[in-house]
Amino acid sequence: MADLLGPLLTAFTLPFMARALVVLLALSLVAGIVGVLVNLRSLEFISDGLTHSVFPGIAIGFVWGGREGLFVGAMIAAVLAAVVLTLITRRAVSGDAAIAIVFTAMFSIGILVVSRQSNYAGQLEQLLFGRLLTVTPAEVTQTLVICAIALLLVALTLRQQVFRAFDRAAFAAAGYRPLLLDLVLNVAIALVVVAASSAVGNLLVLAVLIVPGAVARLITVRLWALFPLAAGFAALCAWVGLTLGFEASVTAGIDLPSGATVVLVLVAGYLFVLLGRLAVDRMRRPARPVTELQPEPRAESVTA
Amino acid sequence: MPAPLALRVSGASFAYAQRDALTGIDFDLHAGEAIALIGPNGSGKSTLLKGILGLIHRTEGTVEVLGQPSAPAGSVGYVPQTDELDPEFPVSLEQVVMMGRYRELGWLRLPGKKDRRAVAAALETVGLGRLSKVRFGELSGGQQQRGLLARAVAAGPRLLLLDEPFNGLDQANRDALVGTVERLKADGVAVLVSTHDLELAKAVCERVLLLNGSQVAFGPRESVLTLDNVQRTFHEVGVEMDQHTLVVPGHEGH
Repeated sequence: MADLLGPLLTAFTLPFMARALVVLLALSLVAGIVGVLVNLRSLEFISDGLTHSVFPGIAIGFVWGGREGLFVGAMIAAVLAAVVLTLITRRAVSGDAAIAIVFTAMFSIGILVVSRQSNYAGQLEQLLFGRLLTVTPAEVTQTLVICAIALLLVALTLRQQVFRAFDRAAFAAAGYRPLLLDLVLNVAIALVVVAASSAVGNLLVLAVLIVPGAVARLITVRLWALFPLAAGFAALCAWVGLTLGFEASVTAGIDLPSGATVVLVLVAGYLFVLLGRLAVDRMRRPARPVTELQPEPRAESVTA
Repeated sequence: MPAPLALRVSGASFAYAQRDALTGIDFDLHAGEAIALIGPNGSGKSTLLKGILGLIHRTEGTVEVLGQPSAPAGSVGYVPQTDELDPEFPVSLEQVVMMGRYRELGWLRLPGKKDRRAVAAALETVGLGRLSKVRFGELSGGQQQRGLLARAVAAGPRLLLLDEPFNGLDQANRDALVGTVERLKADGVAVLVSTHDLELAKAVCERVLLLNGSQVAFGPRESVLTLDNVQRTFHEVGVEMDQHTLVVPGHEGH
């Protein structure tokens, strides 16, 4: 047992590994909870759009203020992108095309901005894929603050978010404003993207947002169990992924990019749970509707 | 003294994406009264309900709910068609009905005894008390419909809008639904229900509004449901009507 747990613990006595773990655990908690809402609302494509549109903010912030400026630029871009996106999707007609056009344009702007820098390729790589193992103490603080804001936004509206996801028309009929709630969720998603930018980077954050929610949906149909399950799964994968990267580097001398390793562990976890789900479904008899059958539709015959 | 006015729609038209979907709507609805919206598929029944809720753009006319130009928060209950909901959504019947209490709870307060009692009472009202823990999507269509009605009941609305609640229901579910609507009316709730089932209109509604892209007729049930009016309403699908039975060939429930 100690042999198994040893590597999972000892690596994190090193300060840079401990910082990486703290950042990833905070991110897992928030991305897990936000990710369940992304899943319930089927916002995967919009989340993808958001990651792209936050990128120019990250790039401009980085060029303007270096690693410290990155978060400021990204926060501004995140809020702007969330507002624009909420307004675009409100007019549902060809929403997907509009999102794709706006956000690939935004992404290109980000790349143009970074391309003015010396060491273009290296900088771009860091922004896109993160640099988990060189996160500074100041960045840990910034990440925690951004995660806390995102968590607060969804925690305060969680019940209403679920109601809106289930039945938008009845939600609006009850006197709520779906647009306001959509804005809150989109800002929270954008903040997760910002919080993840130094750790796993702008491209891989999508996996952290989407995989844990999908895994939780495979495990349970109990609503309030989804959120801790998604957060817990993300945290576990983050821990295992970091350890795996560390061990590969120390014992085998293989240098694995830590962000990508964590993402691959997430995906492997998803496949594992998916296979488990399929096996369980196969063993059980198919669930039957609770009681009565529906009458067959037929030509209407009614009494006046 | 007549019952207070719950809803007044005057000269109203509603549009999807600049195209008029429904025009010339004029009627009023009083507390404790029920009106049936009757028309073929695509005649604008759902459009009218959503227009009253403000979910669809109104191009002209006025809608007043309880004397206000926009519905006072929490005063209107809406029961959508169940096929608009995701059957895989991970939520139990009890949790769906609790959504009816959210308005009262506000943003932060957790559901208390009073809310749980209201949910249990609403489920009993529609006769689904024993299924409260079952996942909503696993219920039959009729049970889902009654569950959504229970959600509306739990919110304690003054005006209730029901969109085709009787579609595909067996007799037991119909009876339960009719009984619930009768009880709500007795409590002073105003009910607007869309249906193409004249028998059910007769069972619970005092007045009838015939719709086919625009308002064909509105008034007391007996004077509105004439062969001529019904033929004008259903002219595209064809109508045969003897003394008791109206047959709409090929017009399948949706």
